[in-house]
Amino acid sequence: MSSSRIDAGGMPADANESPGRMPGGADPSATLVDITMPQMGVSVAEGTIVAWRVESGDRVEADQTVCDISTDKIETEVPAPSAGIIAEILVDVEQTVEVGTVLARMAVGDGATVAAGASGGAGGSTAAGAGPTAPEATGPGAAAAGPKATLTAAAAPTPTAPPSTAGARGNGDARRYSPVVQRIAAEHGIDLSTVTGTGRGGRVRKQDVLAVVEDGGSGAPQPLEEPPLHIESPYRPDPPAPAATAAAPAASGAAPPGTPRVGAAGAAPAVPAQPAGGHDLSRMRRQIGEHMKRSLEVAATCTTWAEADMTQVERVRRARGVTALAYVARATVDALREYPALNAWLDGEQYTRHADVNLGIAVSLGEEGLIVPVIQRAQELSVEGLAARVRDLAGRARSRQLTADDVAGGTFTITAPGQFGSIMATPVINQPQVGILDFEAVVKRPVVVTDADGNDAIAIRSMTILGLSWDHRALDGALAAQFLSAVRQRLEAITD
Amino acid sequence: MATMTYLQAISSALRDEMRADERVMVMGEDIGVFGGAFKVTDGMIEEFGPDRVMDTPLAESAIIGCAIGAAVVGLRPVCEMQFSDFVSCGFDQLVNVAGKMHYRQGLAVPITVRLPSGGGFSGGPFHSQNPEAWFMHAPGIKVVAPSTAEDAKGLLHHAMHDPNPVCFMEHKHLYRRVKGDVREGVYETPFTARIARPGSDLVVMTYGAMVDVALQATEDLDGASVEVLDLRSLVPLDEDAILDSVARCSKVVIVDEANMTCAAGAQVAALIAEKGFEDLDGPVTRVASPDVPIPFSPPLEQAVLPGVDRVKEACRELLAY
Amino acid sequence: MAMADTAPPTGTAPAKAPQVTTSEEDAAHLTTEDRIALLRAMLQMRGIEERAMSLYRQGKVPGSFYDGYGQEAVSAGAAFAMAAEDRLCILHRDLAAHIIRGVTPSRIFSQYMGRAAGVTRGRDGNVHFGDKDLGCVGMVSMLPDMMLVATGMAMAFKLRGEPRCALTWFGDGSTSRGDFHEAMNWAGVQKLPVVFVLENNQYAYSTPLDKQFAVDPVKRAEAYGCEGVSVDGNDVEAMFEATRAARERAVSGEGPTLIEAVTMRMHGHAAHDDMKYVPAEQVQEWKERDPIDRQEKRLTALGVDVDALRAEVSAELDAAVSEALTGPMPSPDEALEGVFCTGEATPLGDGHAPWSGFAQRGER
Repeated sequence: MSSSRIDAGGMPADANESPGRMPGGADPSATLVDITMPQMGVSVAEGTIVAWRVESGDRVEADQTVCDISTDKIETEVPAPSAGIIAEILVDVEQTVEVGTVLARMAVGDGATVAAGASGGAGGSTAAGAGPTAPEATGPGAAAAGPKATLTAAAAPTPTAPPSTAGARGNGDARRYSPVVQRIAAEHGIDLSTVTGTGRGGRVRKQDVLAVVEDGGSGAPQPLEEPPLHIESPYRPDPPAPAATAAAPAASGAAPPGTPRVGAAGAAPAVPAQPAGGHDLSRMRRQIGEHMKRSLEVAATCTTWAEADMTQVERVRRARGVTALAYVARATVDALREYPALNAWLDGEQYTRHADVNLGIAVSLGEEGLIVPVIQRAQELSVEGLAARVRDLAGRARSRQLTADDVAGGTFTITAPGQFGSIMATPVINQPQVGILDFEAVVKRPVVVTDADGNDAIAIRSMTILGLSWDHRALDGALAAQFLSAVRQRLEAITD
Repeated sequence: MATMTYLQAISSALRDEMRADERVMVMGEDIGVFGGAFKVTDGMIEEFGPDRVMDTPLAESAIIGCAIGAAVVGLRPVCEMQFSDFVSCGFDQLVNVAGKMHYRQGLAVPITVRLPSGGGFSGGPFHSQNPEAWFMHAPGIKVVAPSTAEDAKGLLHHAMHDPNPVCFMEHKHLYRRVKGDVREGVYETPFTARIARPGSDLVVMTYGAMVDVALQATEDLDGASVEVLDLRSLVPLDEDAILDSVARCSKVVIVDEANMTCAAGAQVAALIAEKGFEDLDGPVTRVASPDVPIPFSPPLEQAVLPGVDRVKEACRELLAY
Repeated sequence: MAMADTAPPTGTAPAKAPQVTTSEEDAAHLTTEDRIALLRAMLQMRGIEERAMSLYRQGKVPGSFYDGYGQEAVSAGAAFAMAAEDRLCILHRDLAAHIIRGVTPSRIFSQYMGRAAGVTRGRDGNVHFGDKDLGCVGMVSMLPDMMLVATGMAMAFKLRGEPRCALTWFGDGSTSRGDFHEAMNWAGVQKLPVVFVLENNQYAYSTPLDKQFAVDPVKRAEAYGCEGVSVDGNDVEAMFEATRAARERAVSGEGPTLIEAVTMRMHGHAAHDDMKYVPAEQVQEWKERDPIDRQEKRLTALGVDVDALRAEVSAELDAAVSEALTGPMPSPDEALEGVFCTGEATPLGDGHAPWSGFAQRGER
């Protein structure tokens, strides 16, 4: 393919400035959308064009790769934010530009309006306030509006993940929360990124968060029902697909500005379920698959199980308003401190133990796949703290707002698919870690209990089977069993 | 119960106390025969005689120093600085002799120093001051500042009963402008704060003449529920009441009639920043006179002293934050 | 106060020693026991200050150290004339006044060393103390603030019609401050029963009299409506007499007296001052008028065994030092206590009043 420079269509220079002016071949009533240099990680400030895969005038599908780029952290691809026609290409091959620079423009839509923001108002604050924006539906065939419109040159270099709980302040983030607002949100499990602020500049006031509390608020002390699951994957910056009907891939809009990609081959946004008929696996699906396969090839994977009596946990967690997973996470962290051999990486011959427990929690992204955001330094958090972090990360994972740093550095993983009733599994280790804990359904069973006098009786207890897959290259079954037992003992010792 | 002006309440306290306790005497410039510059002690010399309603030489240091001497041999003197501004002439006796005596020697100095304070009537730089912060900063001295007639009497009784030096900041502007129902006889108002109006969206903390300004400014403020906390006692400062208001309202405007820097409100703001941080939903805001001598000419004075409009604006802005 | 072991003959007319400035009439107010008590008080003052200076040089006395070396008569004589119900504001060179009122040497040493057993329990230092239960108000450093406190006390006595007086000491330097004027004026205007003892010891730190005032304060007393007398401050019996007379005037309603006690500060302003600014001849001249020497001569002439008295005082003070050295320092936990009185305000109590003249009143 040619890596042509600018607009082969002979577009006047000032056409860049005016939305609605269409370069050659495009519908004059359509709108121009920018394709910008993405940020691959917090510290990345620029990227280089390696190759253009399209040229001006080409019609592209949503998510189709338009160019390859290279950054300090990774090589990756830049996808088209939606279906449309490439209007102009602005940056040459081998040119290095800052993150956020417009690389190319494409024409989208059939004249239907794009969401406000086409004027480039994606400043930090809007990005912050945007959250998981629902793109405005613009009719069938139209490219999705909304988020794409915010993909302008003003895309903020910093990923804008608003802090949602006390103690989880965003870095350099425009949306701040006062102490009392954070406290109330933490007490009631409210994700502040979802609260509308009526204060100055859209600030969330105390009254705003209290109003959410009174309305029964998001996540008011109720256990999280959604299942986190499985293995790390290169996540993609997908907005939730609106009206993803059986019809043609509609609004798989582009990522909210600034959301970086991770993983070796970066970012192919998910393709929503298509009607029967063959279709290629999505990039995410492919990458998950490759990761799993590699893990099974490289590691000597074994699985050990133990039964844990979760009756106390079940009782206590409801009063506290947290999920059982939070207790399992805390027990796991404590057990990892006791058995640091499992809090390690094995990369070829190189075996590294870690002081911090960076706990990965697998999060299902529905049919598209899954991802494993990491709770950094999980040992510093209480049960409630872990619960809050899980909620925060899971929420952001599902809204495709995780950053590269959110999925990096994990030292151990927990996967918990038990919500669907499965009781045991053989999880695959998340490379280069050496262990992964599987937490399945908690099921009431009749069990034998022994009282203080040594008398046996049958009791109904809430039981679960904890599964630990572990790498026999790094440790042996005895240690694995001891670790698992340590987790179990801690869970059974919970009293409050 | 009787309806009295703030000034009458003060007179009533002095009278009732002197009737009840023969150790009590009042002393100051022009308070006897003349009845006092503001007539607070009018008529008292007729009832109690010139020994107990004493016209002193023009000597603030001596007024306070002699009060100290009389107090340590068993009297309960109430000395008056004709204008609070003149207390600077007796600063040394008040801060170094009275304030430190008990700590150093275990010897209590039960004096009350009445300080007619405040501006708003073209008194100029030397007749309009609010010097309470100087004495909040001196260990061993209590400071109280009533805003209502009822509190004026009760706080003064309490001050006269207190075995320590107490500065009683009586606001000149309130003398005849504030009226209220006042209990008769001897009663004590505690050295605590008072909620002048309860609220939930924002609290204005202040004392003295500014309490009424705060009430007026926030009476009808876009439907907001604004609390007004009358600090009333500056030493001891009612930390519990202050932090309680912060916990409920989360937004604080502090009003000082005194000059901004290191006024009483600065101490309240520091307290809130340290101990009420987790309850704050906005920056602690202060409204105070700027750091200038209180000017004489009305337009200048009005520009300097905090008024209803400035307080209203500060509250509005903070409510919207 | 305890008497000397060898009881002197009573009732005999004292032999006149050279340079005595008391008259027969004056002497009649003092018994031999009184005279011995006066000497004892001065010996105790000097002995305490000498030992305290030594402790200071050993590093056991923090802060500054002041003494009244050579001025002992000014406080001993005047304090001796005070009744139990009178009240005193005692200054830093008037240690004998504390002793006469009843503060024990051991407590004084503890006070200097900042120990828990000190009169102020470590709250204030050196002579900034006053035992409130013995009718003494502890001084402040701003001078002459205490003149106004004494004036106030006298005012209360007069208001209540009590035959009591208040007395304070202060130095030549402090008369330059406003409180001197306000106190003299107030006392004169209200004709108060107060005795102001001006210790004119020739220097205020390094400032000599001719830099301090244009007109001698005692000459100005009359301008305030105050009686003014000048006394040989190094004659303890003359000091006593002048104060006794002033007290009489006071309690009879004749008003205040300013007693100028002419003396000399024989040591520096404080231990850290070598007083190089004082001419050597001046020091020598005053050495020959040492108040203790003079009283000893008087008593020797009366047949009193002065050496035995000295030895007794010396032993007493040595024991007091030892006792004080065993005492603990105050606990830091207490540093914040006592800023405010939380109970009842207790007025000053009565002090010791060893003068025989008070015993004769039969009131005590």
